[in-house]
Amino acid sequence: MTGFIIRRVISMAVTFIVVSIVIFLMMHSIPGGPFDGYEMPLPDNIKAKLMATLGLDKPLWEQYIRYMWGALHLDFGVPFQSPGDTVIGLVAHAWLPSVTLGGLGILFGAPIGVLLGMAAALRRNSWIDYLASALATLGLTIPVFIISTGLILVFAVWLKWTPASGWGEPKRWILPIMAYGAVPLATYARYARATMLDALNKPFVSVLRAKGLSERRIIFQHVLRNAAIPMVTIFPAMFVGIATGSIFVEAMFRVPGLGAYFVSSIDKRDYPLEMALMLLISALYSISYLLADILYAVLNPRIRIEGRAR
Amino acid sequence: MSDTPALELKQLTKRFGDFIAVNRVDLAVPRNQVVALVGESGSGKTTTGLLALRLLAHDGGQILLDGEDISTLSQKQMKAYRRRLQVVFQDSYSSLDPMMTLGEIVAEPLGIHGVATAAERRDTARGWLEKVGLDGSYANRYPHELSGGQRQRVSVARALILGASVLVADEPTSALDVSVKAQIVNLLQGLQADMGLSMLFISHDLSVVRSLADEVVVMLRGRVVERAPTDRIFSNARHPYTQSLLDAVPVIDPAARRRRTFLSAEEITARTPRITASDLVAEPLLDTADPQLVALAGSHFVEAIVAERATP
Amino acid sequence: MTELTTGTTASVPLAKPDSVRQRSPLYFAWRRFTANKAAVGAGIILLIIILMAIFAPVITTTGPNDQDFLTNALNFPSGAHWFGVDNLGRDFFTRIVYGARVSLGIGFSAAVFSLLVGLPLGALAGYLGGRFDWVVMRIIELFSVVPPLLAALLLATVTRGGVWAIILIAGIFGWKDVCLLVRAQVKSFREKEFIMAAQALGASPWHIVWRHLIPNSVSPIIVGFVLAIPLAMMLEASLSFLGIGVQPPTPSWGQMINVGMNFMFYYWHMAVFPTAALAVTILAASLLGDGLRDALDPTLKGR
Repeated sequence: MTGFIIRRVISMAVTFIVVSIVIFLMMHSIPGGPFDGYEMPLPDNIKAKLMATLGLDKPLWEQYIRYMWGALHLDFGVPFQSPGDTVIGLVAHAWLPSVTLGGLGILFGAPIGVLLGMAAALRRNSWIDYLASALATLGLTIPVFIISTGLILVFAVWLKWTPASGWGEPKRWILPIMAYGAVPLATYARYARATMLDALNKPFVSVLRAKGLSERRIIFQHVLRNAAIPMVTIFPAMFVGIATGSIFVEAMFRVPGLGAYFVSSIDKRDYPLEMALMLLISALYSISYLLADILYAVLNPRIRIEGRAR
Repeated sequence: MSDTPALELKQLTKRFGDFIAVNRVDLAVPRNQVVALVGESGSGKTTTGLLALRLLAHDGGQILLDGEDISTLSQKQMKAYRRRLQVVFQDSYSSLDPMMTLGEIVAEPLGIHGVATAAERRDTARGWLEKVGLDGSYANRYPHELSGGQRQRVSVARALILGASVLVADEPTSALDVSVKAQIVNLLQGLQADMGLSMLFISHDLSVVRSLADEVVVMLRGRVVERAPTDRIFSNARHPYTQSLLDAVPVIDPAARRRRTFLSAEEITARTPRITASDLVAEPLLDTADPQLVALAGSHFVEAIVAERATP
Repeated sequence: MTELTTGTTASVPLAKPDSVRQRSPLYFAWRRFTANKAAVGAGIILLIIILMAIFAPVITTTGPNDQDFLTNALNFPSGAHWFGVDNLGRDFFTRIVYGARVSLGIGFSAAVFSLLVGLPLGALAGYLGGRFDWVVMRIIELFSVVPPLLAALLLATVTRGGVWAIILIAGIFGWKDVCLLVRAQVKSFREKEFIMAAQALGASPWHIVWRHLIPNSVSPIIVGFVLAIPLAMMLEASLSFLGIGVQPPTPSWGQMINVGMNFMFYYWHMAVFPTAALAVTILAASLLGDGLRDALDPTLKGR
């Protein structure tokens, strides 16, 4: 068991390092440095000096090593666009709106999805079943920025129930949270329905019914436990969706979060910020998948009892 | 044309990690004869078959086809030999590509070896379908439309269309009903007589073996424990394991029924026959008190413990 | 001891097939598919959209970039302009229809690319196993860890957008799904006896992959291809929305949504139509893909 975990961690770490190298190289291959976008072109010697202070004149591999070393200490350097702050400082700021909205989105979306899915499984082919399936399909196939557009159109423009954008007061959060919640809701609705149906059709349920247990007890004490395991293991994957979704949701709702910073950093060729964000999000992805794998291995009683996985 | 066996396995060995699946197996299939390889599941007989076909890599020993050593050839070099050495498997359904018509399946070997034109291949395939008892119009059908017995016929046609001289049949009748078993056995016998086929017939079903085989080789956990002509095995088996296999065959006549003996591994080891050296036809190969394959009269080999050495 | 009756083969009459039409496994798959009304409906809708895209010049009166209606800019939908007029005086219906060309074209091309890369890699990885498989799985893991959209953004910036770059990028992030599907299928077939029989016949690995494994992988190939299309379209729309995808004036739905957002509070048609077009197309393609998967999988595996 621990062997399995260690192997996965190492595998992820290696993958992550390779990914970081690739990102690093890609970043530095974007033509144009941070100072080429200005209206008044800087004289060459000043440009050279500025590049030197930022360490941009050293050979690539050296830059990479220095950077990764700093990254381990959470020192990502200084963003080009606002040399007064540090990248990590900016990230700490931007992190809050993204995580709040995304987290709340998951927090609302997942349980609703689970309940919908369970209801759908328990009342097959009823209107609840169709509703849940329809929502699940829609949520998973329609890209998040369309959902956002739709939400704005319906709730802000036509119904005028909520404001359309901004970050300040909580009521501005409603639409972004709904946008973030769509995918978790859809995913969990689908999953919950499938695992519930799976568990309900297992022979042990018939045995319990024959024993005379009430339907309610059967569902809550037995079926749920079986169905819950797969649902827990996909939970970390939800964060991955937030990371990519944030690019759009924040653009549409004008929220100053990580996604917004990412887009602007690409625009402005702000290497340190870009690199840091890519790395952080890739790290988030890696850790999420790792967590999901480990959770699955831990919770799956077959693997746990046998002591080793696969 | 000499006495060179059509197929010969010498000291063939296969290991999976620490487990020895095939342990220095010796057997020979004389020309135009059927040798049955019997044993229970897990005895290593199927593995032996796969090794002989070079479908599985071996860990020791030799495989001789008509006297030529094919054990160290690369797969590319094997291709030419494969025209002579073919196989029919147990599972008739997964033996045939579900997406190909029967005509295509039977004609495929011709295509792989670049024989004849496409039209000729089609005709030859049709001819072979009829040879195995299926009307030629079956050529446009798919495997899932046939019964198990019919699918096995197709497998046989595919195996023999290149004019093979050695056929390894891995439990071809085990998945079939009794009446169909008989049909397939008849088919194989007929073809064997027509084409001068030599066959290695792997089975756990002794009743089928009795009607088809000239010689029977009994395997137990990877080792050959008895080897003799068919009637000797059935009348005069010396090894306790062989006897328990024979006892297990269902008998119709109540009077002729024997009591079934169920032997555990320890009991089998305990009852390994002890034979005095004077009964042996040839000198035992190894000078040891451990069980080894010894030669008795009438081409009968048994794994036994040599009780006394012949005085030199 | 029970004896088996022996006789000659000649005494058994030749078995004759009953006169029923030949039924290939795909036939049964088709029957299952047509029973799934949602999938069939989705397929029809998708077909209509594709036809509209192909015959765009026929069903529209002006070009997508013709600013003929500047005096009527931002007009709402009417008899003369079914989807209204956009902010630069172009007939919006025309733009949406031509946008279908761009989005669908990119979706299909990217799916083809994903297939060209994913299919052989998946088939070989599944069949050869061992080190080759290990390498392919490591590569796939690499691609899984990188957030596709972020990396796509980066790549798009490096290449400055444009249609071919987008196709390439979408293909790069789409091939791994096809590869995994094919690999799984090939692995499940690899141990089957008909593969061993082919090996025993002396077939080369290439022959086995080409004549046996790939035809039996029809299911993941079709499903993988059809499901790759909406993924690619989403990626393209996302990139165009952010401004680094398809560049104006070439119409692309993602791009039009971006523009539409600026006007949507009053001129709702600017946002609604491209949004609806994109949503419907992606939904139809996804439902079709799901329906195909349900139809193909149980039939080919179950029988």
